[in-house]
Amino acid sequence: MFLTLIRRELLANLMTFRFSVAMVVTLSLVVANTIVLIADYERRLTSYNTAAQQHHHKVSEAEVYSAVEGKIRVDRPPNTLSIFNAGLDRRLGNSINVRHTLVPTLWDTQSHSADNPFLNLFSSVDLVFIFQVILSLLALLFAHDAIAGEREAGTLRLTMANPVSRPIILLAKYTSAMACLILPLIISLLLALILFSVSGSILLKSDDWLRIGGILLTSIIYLSAFYLIGLLISATTRRTATALMLSMVIWSSLVLIYPSLSVFTVNRLWHTPSQLEAAYQEIEQIWERFEKERMDYLKNDGVEGENTNFNIKSGSSWGTVNLGYSSTLKYFKPEYRHWTNIDEDSEPQVPYVKSYFQFSEPRRIRAAEQTWLVRQKALDQVYVRKANVARNLMRLSPAAMYDTSTEAWAGTDLHSIADFITTVQQYRQTIIDYFYDKKAFSSRQWFASDRGAIDLNDLPRFSYHRADVLTGLKRASGDMACLLLINLVLFMATFLIFVRQEV
Amino acid sequence: MIWHITKRELYDHLNSLRFAFTMVLLLILMIINAIGYLGEYKAQSVAYQEKVSASLDKMRSNADSLYTLLTAGPGNLYKKPSPLSFCANSGEAFIPESAQGSSASWSAGFDGFSIRGIWRMKYPQTNPNLWNIMPDYTDVDWGNIISVVLSLVAILFTFDAISSEQEHGTLRLILSNSISRGTALVSKFLAALITISIPFLIAALINLFLLYTSGSTPLGASEWERLGIIALIAFVYVSIFLALGLLISSHVNHSSTSLTILLLVWVVWIALLPFTLGALTSGLQPTMTSDELNARRENLRQNLDEQYKNRWSKASREIPATKETLLWSKYVMEDAKRNEKLDEEHLDAQIAQIQLARSITRISPASSVRYAIESLAGTGFTRHVQFLAQVGRYAGEFNEFLVESDSVDSESPHAIGPKEGTSQKPVNFESIPKFEDRISLSGAYNAAATDFMLLFLFSAVLFAGAFLSFLRVDV
Repeated sequence: MFLTLIRRELLANLMTFRFSVAMVVTLSLVVANTIVLIADYERRLTSYNTAAQQHHHKVSEAEVYSAVEGKIRVDRPPNTLSIFNAGLDRRLGNSINVRHTLVPTLWDTQSHSADNPFLNLFSSVDLVFIFQVILSLLALLFAHDAIAGEREAGTLRLTMANPVSRPIILLAKYTSAMACLILPLIISLLLALILFSVSGSILLKSDDWLRIGGILLTSIIYLSAFYLIGLLISATTRRTATALMLSMVIWSSLVLIYPSLSVFTVNRLWHTPSQLEAAYQEIEQIWERFEKERMDYLKNDGVEGENTNFNIKSGSSWGTVNLGYSSTLKYFKPEYRHWTNIDEDSEPQVPYVKSYFQFSEPRRIRAAEQTWLVRQKALDQVYVRKANVARNLMRLSPAAMYDTSTEAWAGTDLHSIADFITTVQQYRQTIIDYFYDKKAFSSRQWFASDRGAIDLNDLPRFSYHRADVLTGLKRASGDMACLLLINLVLFMATFLIFVRQEV
Repeated sequence: MIWHITKRELYDHLNSLRFAFTMVLLLILMIINAIGYLGEYKAQSVAYQEKVSASLDKMRSNADSLYTLLTAGPGNLYKKPSPLSFCANSGEAFIPESAQGSSASWSAGFDGFSIRGIWRMKYPQTNPNLWNIMPDYTDVDWGNIISVVLSLVAILFTFDAISSEQEHGTLRLILSNSISRGTALVSKFLAALITISIPFLIAALINLFLLYTSGSTPLGASEWERLGIIALIAFVYVSIFLALGLLISSHVNHSSTSLTILLLVWVVWIALLPFTLGALTSGLQPTMTSDELNARRENLRQNLDEQYKNRWSKASREIPATKETLLWSKYVMEDAKRNEKLDEEHLDAQIAQIQLARSITRISPASSVRYAIESLAGTGFTRHVQFLAQVGRYAGEFNEFLVESDSVDSESPHAIGPKEGTSQKPVNFESIPKFEDRISLSGAYNAAATDFMLLFLFSAVLFAGAFLSFLRVDV
């Protein structure tokens, strides 16, 4: 009996006009957007490759160790799965300088592909957004008359006249409708994958397949939630027209309006008392202390004058920058010195220079780390907390839950970007360790290339691997659990109402 | 008769669930918009004034000699904030608020002689999005409220206008009176339009009341005029969807089928197409990458050095100007001119790329209506292009002023460029032309007119379609 019911429902759903229209619309949108997104991905990949190569070459230009500072720049590769959910992958900066005088954060990133900045006026649509909008609409269109419609037409009474329990009827409706909803989802995915393989530039690893599986699973749970919302409405209302209207009201509020509205409200009205100014002063003090120590050292180092020229009379290029940006608390103070040759007479001065840099650079590193502690705290409080509040408030809508959990699956969420930054920070540490290993700070080659340029072939190379699928699962699981819970609650509610209802 | 039916329809609508929904939704959105933009204009104006006066102070300190002014330029030129930014603010984050008339970053010297580049216009290309970790969202401004919510509401009010009456048989009843089908259709259209305009106007007035009484947004005659035109555009836009609803509703027998079709059309046409088309077409005319730009700049420098390679002798302060001084003057001027031309070319290419994408996205009326509202509100891309045109004109004026003030100085060799060839007399600060950004109303109206015509065309065509299809309906 169950199977008969399912077959009937399936046919009833599949044969409808709305199903075919929605199918055509979804598929054509998926194809069109996948093509656009693949082209965009390829463009980003090319600019990543060019940038990574250029930045790699740039390091070898350094002839002394102090010139390495500022020359190491690492890049974040574009994420293949950003085609499914672009998240922050496309938007945030993807190139970052690694210096021992500054601990890098998200706010120091730049973009390696300086495209037309006005292009940001057009945001692109990813595949998850299409599912999120169109398939949820289809789910509600299927559900709104599932019970109310049959009741109006009197067929519900007819079905019940058979020896079939109400839960079975409900289950049959649910199963068949979900089958009809999953169909366009799967076909869309297949089409997207075919387009991937045609393009040839997108290579999916086994890891990625699991992630796509996760996105598919989340999509199914999301659509099920919307179907159940519709079913609940259908069970509680007398007339199809009312059910339809109510469904549309709920759909437009949950999918289209609420997410933007909540983020807009937080963005406009959330003002944390800005700690930026206080933090900036604190950072300035850190560097003042450093500067004082440095000057004290120069005063007592046995060489006349407090400059870092050390009375070496030879051609040198040098630079010390004092860079501070109060809005992102970026503050660093590198010192670069390069003598291409050192006269015989100045040779006795060299040990002083060596010990000066041996003194100053570790302290510079320490100041950078102290700066980071202050900076991280302040920036988190001002920027990250606001974004998190917005995200959490937005999560009251299942559409936003779906968005954030697929973001986590695709690895385009804030966590994944933060992973990249952490990797860069670790890389900075390896560079510093490398300097220590080479005794670079106390070496002549920190500042002079008269005895040959430095060899940077054994400089550790940067490599970034995305967190594995399990981490993705862990990050997505919260939202997925919430979606499942919504499903459960809605199903129980519908069930209880339907079982007690008069037909 | 037409009023009779309209009145009946109106009562029907006003008692319906969808009317309550529309009312509540529009009120919430408009109030949140008002709260979100409370104090925005005031803060923006204060910041604008501060930046402008800082820029002027810098200019005043540079006015101690004409040569300093020549190398430092007029400083940053800022775009004036618009009091109507709450109407359309979506794109503002990506559009620079200033142009920089600042010094060239090169200098050269030999044997105690030094020479610096003169000022030129630079266009900052910032992308604040690089650090923006907020989730993606659409700004709740009038433009989005009108383009997304009002169109959806229009569909909700018309999807069953004809099909449900057909289902219930009341259509036959109406048409059995001495009434033409055209009248019936027009009255349905009018009733829906009035029904939607009531909550829209109420919500909009509450929004304006909040903004106005809080003292943050001054609303003068010109603002009211523009707001009125925005409301007019909103009505034309709504009528597109009313006509579409009537068209589909008279074609289809069941209201649920009609709603399905309408919603899918709406989702694609309004919610997805503008973005997809924008992303698609913006790739059609790629502009120079920063590497290419740098390469061209390098190339330009080399060409120039090649052309003036015999310039390496000192300029001197002699009247009339020596050959060397004139040569340096030419070199420096040419350098500024060519670099400026390159920058402008780059900027023009970027603008052309966006203009193309914008004209193609106008296939969706949601884009047209947003563009029209943007132009009228004095924000967005069109406004930025107008600002850039003003900046260009001002740069010319400023240069003319420099030449003129140099020509009246009898102690100058009149070979503008090198320090030796330029007047070094202090300049009267008051006489220097100052940049003031003006929001040109005629420009705004012109820009909005195209979009308005397009919207009108859409609605006329769809209404004609609805009319024809209603004439052929079997009752």
